[in-house]
Amino acid sequence: MTKDLQEDNKKISEDMMISDEVYMTSGVHIGTRQKTADMKEHIYKVRNDGLYIIDINKTDQKINIAAKFISKFNPENILVVSVRQYGQKPIRKLSEYTGIKVLDGRFRPGTLTNPSAKGFIEPELLIVTDPLADSQALDEARNIGIPVVGLCDTNNELKYIDIVIPTNNKGRRALALVYWLLSRAILKENGKIKSYENFKPTVEDFEAEI
Amino acid sequence: MKKAEKCISCGKGLIERGSTTFICPNCDTKIGRCNSCREQNVKYHCQECGFIGP
Repeated sequence: MTKDLQEDNKKISEDMMISDEVYMTSGVHIGTRQKTADMKEHIYKVRNDGLYIIDINKTDQKINIAAKFISKFNPENILVVSVRQYGQKPIRKLSEYTGIKVLDGRFRPGTLTNPSAKGFIEPELLIVTDPLADSQALDEARNIGIPVVGLCDTNNELKYIDIVIPTNNKGRRALALVYWLLSRAILKENGKIKSYENFKPTVEDFEAEI
Repeated sequence: MKKAEKCISCGKGLIERGSTTFICPNCDTKIGRCNSCREQNVKYHCQECGFIGP
């Protein structure tokens, strides 16, 4: 590797919110054995065992972009959903620190579309942990015409997703790290913390129990 | 927020169900996306700042 290239790589890692090693140890870059055309541009390479690897530089950029986007909305008008077990604690924590509304566990049909349904809400933005698992929420968001931010793995399609965060959306630690970074970035964008160091909770606080 | 009139990718009017309007993450430009562009994952780019999504 030439010196210039090494310096370029160093610069890229310095621009990132946390070091690439943290991303690697949390398994944010680990994809699945399936690849969709939509996610092709976010894939870095395919490993010998057939696993597709996600480009963590893009993950980092997109978390930043998503945080900027989310901070443009009133937190009370944002809904974050996760049917996945490992995504439920991280989203509850995200809600605790940012004030975003949370719906963990089963998404009751009609929550966004049926005014007479129990727990009916009218959010202006939806955040989904897995577009495949949270398809009911995604469908209803489409019906009411609100934008969607989605955490997408290599096997996800980007139908009705307006801002994508390419990441491993199945891992316990990966989901905890992504939501921790997202909460920190949202608070910074909103001006509630001055720098990232002022964000006291740790990634472990966001991790779901095994 | 008032809806954008046209889809930023194809120029179609945003009258059908499934279309959406949101503000660009980098600048404050309104971005409209129609149902078919969202369904087919057609890329959009902000005309002010050049942001490419999704």
